[in-house]
Amino acid sequence: MDIIDHPPILRLPGIPDHVTYTWIAMLILIVVSFVATRRLAMVPTGTQNFMEMVLDQFHQILDEVIGAGGRRYLPLIGTLGLFILTSNLMGLVPGLASPTANLNTTAACALIVFFTYHVIGVRKQGVIPYLKHFAGPVPGVLKPLMFVIEIISHLARPLSLSLRLFGNMAGGHILIAIFFFMMGFDGLLGWALTGSFGGLLIGAPGTIVAAAFVIGFLLPLKILVAFLQAFIFCMLTMIYITGALEEAEHEAHNAPAGHH
Amino acid sequence: MRRTLMFALMTVFAVPGIALAADAAAGGAGEWVKPFAALAAGLGFGLAAGLCGLGQGRAAGSAVDAMARQPGNTNRIQTAMILGLAFIESLTLFVFVIAVILLFVKS
Repeated sequence: MDIIDHPPILRLPGIPDHVTYTWIAMLILIVVSFVATRRLAMVPTGTQNFMEMVLDQFHQILDEVIGAGGRRYLPLIGTLGLFILTSNLMGLVPGLASPTANLNTTAACALIVFFTYHVIGVRKQGVIPYLKHFAGPVPGVLKPLMFVIEIISHLARPLSLSLRLFGNMAGGHILIAIFFFMMGFDGLLGWALTGSFGGLLIGAPGTIVAAAFVIGFLLPLKILVAFLQAFIFCMLTMIYITGALEEAEHEAHNAPAGHH
Repeated sequence: MRRTLMFALMTVFAVPGIALAADAAAGGAGEWVKPFAALAAGLGFGLAAGLCGLGQGRAAGSAVDAMARQPGNTNRIQTAMILGLAFIESLTLFVFVIAVILLFVKS
């Protein structure tokens, strides 16, 4: 990965880059929150207005997906969403690195989600009923099989959550790095600067086309992907929480039906 | 036609082996891993990307159909579509991770 590894500006000795830039993302979020809440006003202006708009969006999605009582999970969902969005966008600033382009960061987020939704499910309905629901609504003989399959599918969730975010971010970075490499001094631009006929004929227009392609298409696409992946991460977290909660409602629905 | 295709595929698979046959005789079996890893990464990622394109195309097409039928439900359909696309895409990203491991992790 030597060619496409672009070292960020700030490197602390002995500390991996993604940890440093996680701290920077935290710093950005803390400063923005501080500025937004420093002078709270009934009629918000400036940063406070912006942050209230963002939180309104979170509230709206929470109400839509989890329903009543969904706003309890705003601290988790909002923190995850804002942190992931900030980290994703930091990768697009030259000289900064994106913490989410490292598997360790995304795996940490995914493991938090994994344990949280299980804890929410267990607290909602107790250990034994929660475990029973893994077996699903199948006849008794098939229950052990379903149980194993469900456990495996639940274990696959943090894997796919972390790999999806990591793959999108790292893939985008590699793509842009390859394009920069291709049109840089080792590639088309270098060819054009040698002054040879082929360089003038192909290298010079090629550089312009590649630069236009990167600026006009790849970077907007990466901004879109940054927002989309943060949204998808939050959405899946909410769906997993809903799954852990809904099983309790299922039980409640079944119980009166049994009495009739 | 089919025989030609098979022959072409076999040739493609054999090329890195032929290219490094001389080196392999001197360097041992480890020399064979790198070219085949590059081949596997390229072919595998190509397959994954192409089939992911087919799947995502179907999903997006159906979503647009649904939106045209029920313009009132556009938001919900869009959310469902984005989630579905993310699930389809994540399979490709698994292949991407495997390709990166094949290409860049020194064994």
